[in-house]
Amino acid sequence: MTNGAVALGARTVWRDATFELEARTITAVLGPNGAGKSTLLNAALGLVPLSEGSIEVLGAPPRRGNRRVGFMAQSRQADAMSAITGRDYVNLGFDGPRFGWGRDRSKREVVERALSLSGTTAFAAQPLKSLSGGQRQRIALAHATVFEPELLLLDEPLAGLDLAAQAEIVDLINLIRDTTGAAVIVVAHDLNPLAPIVDKVLWIARRQVRSGSVDDVVNEEVLSELYGHPIEIVVTPRGRRVIVGLEEEFAHPHPHGHDHSHEAGHEHFAEIYEEETK
Amino acid sequence: MSLGQLLGLSFVQHAFYAVTAVALAAGAVGYFVVLRRQAFAAHAIGHVGFAGAAGAVLLGLSPIVGLLVFCLGAGLLIGFGGATLDDRDAVVGVTLTAALGLGVLFISLYSGYADATYSILFGQILGVTWVDVGLVTSLSMAVLLAVSLAYRPLMFVSVDAQSASARGVSTRAMSLLFMSLLAVTTVVAIQVVGVLLVFSLLVAPAAAAEALTNRPLRAMGLATVLALFSAWFGLFLGVWLGGPVSFWITALASLAYLLARLSSVQAARRSQRAVA
Repeated sequence: MTNGAVALGARTVWRDATFELEARTITAVLGPNGAGKSTLLNAALGLVPLSEGSIEVLGAPPRRGNRRVGFMAQSRQADAMSAITGRDYVNLGFDGPRFGWGRDRSKREVVERALSLSGTTAFAAQPLKSLSGGQRQRIALAHATVFEPELLLLDEPLAGLDLAAQAEIVDLINLIRDTTGAAVIVVAHDLNPLAPIVDKVLWIARRQVRSGSVDDVVNEEVLSELYGHPIEIVVTPRGRRVIVGLEEEFAHPHPHGHDHSHEAGHEHFAEIYEEETK
Repeated sequence: MSLGQLLGLSFVQHAFYAVTAVALAAGAVGYFVVLRRQAFAAHAIGHVGFAGAAGAVLLGLSPIVGLLVFCLGAGLLIGFGGATLDDRDAVVGVTLTAALGLGVLFISLYSGYADATYSILFGQILGVTWVDVGLVTSLSMAVLLAVSLAYRPLMFVSVDAQSASARGVSTRAMSLLFMSLLAVTTVVAIQVVGVLLVFSLLVAPAAAAEALTNRPLRAMGLATVLALFSAWFGLFLGVWLGGPVSFWITALASLAYLLARLSSVQAARRSQRAVA
């Protein structure tokens, strides 16, 4: 993307976004709620046009329905359904968009390969509603990677998972990257669980986008400038970053601002606390 | 008259062909009604149809013309305005009220057709003609054909609208398509069980099927079988023992749902015990 901007109505979501992603890398997209992290994915999917600048996806303008791009949505109706199994859902990743009666001979093989890569074969026959959060995310990853995409877009794959399940999903994302060689973009709330596998960070706040290596972006100078007030970063002995001062990021437009700020603030501490008491 | 002679009567045979066609379409479309949680929309479309039928009778046309126009109109309105889940209920509710208001007006303008009103509300399957049978059968077959062709994209938008959209399936187009199929199915189902009992064919068999299996195609097939079963035996009991056919169909479909729920609760208990 070069100098990209997205406007929804009269509101500019973000502008001046310039970055490039390479194959076999994992990029974390971070920033406050409502900053436009999912919008970035939508721009890459061709669902939202840029209002300025240009974007290229795998050497061409983005277009909907590109099989070389995999996408995992954050909320999926299927997860609450007892009427559909994991395998059915992955099947839809294969031929869901297609009208007509024809059947593709390679379907079973391709779907089973995706299930086995994501480690979901054992419970693929169960309804999605009966699975745990982590199992559903694994199925959703199988769905998104059924065509072994070259660009994989994951919207909050760690949301709502406990620490053990988060770690499993992080390992799986890493495995997918290694096996398929895809460029992976992961939208997340917290860098720490992803830190071991992340090559690059895109941080979106106050309509600006900063990109670079973890150290280039996640430092007090860059984040303070991005947020417009002092941010402090404490690094724990295990290398985890506790970012202090983000609370104020929620103070404006978001309606539930204050509730979230407390949750988000405590999340970091709670997580480290749990980790160290184990 | 013996049972054999009763079943040989031509109006009973008309009814048999009509309920068969309707049950086939209602089973398949009903599966998506239940999957997409759109029972309220199905309910509303039926009631909107009432206004259409009343309007058609007022103008001296066949009720089915009014049903088709109003049900399709309402279906497209709901499909267009309520493509996303957020505003669906409000759109359906307002469409429903506006149409029922019209229905009240039409009835007040036309005096003395209590019979027609009754048959629209509660169905009058034993009164269908060969022309009706032909119309109902071709509409039902068209619906079945469309569902079989659009099955996968319909499933996809129903279980994961965001991913489907990213993969190039238009949520709005599928919503419009589905609501038109639902509208046509409602029109043909009204011929059998009437506006007020449309759920007996559209929702009860599919809901029962969903409780019994978690495989989509199997559930759709099972919903169709249950709808056929309710329709055939309902017709048979109505002819044999008397009483309105729509009552019997509704009773059987509801019974099927009740039994399905009971057996799925038992199955869940059994599997819990197996785990423990």
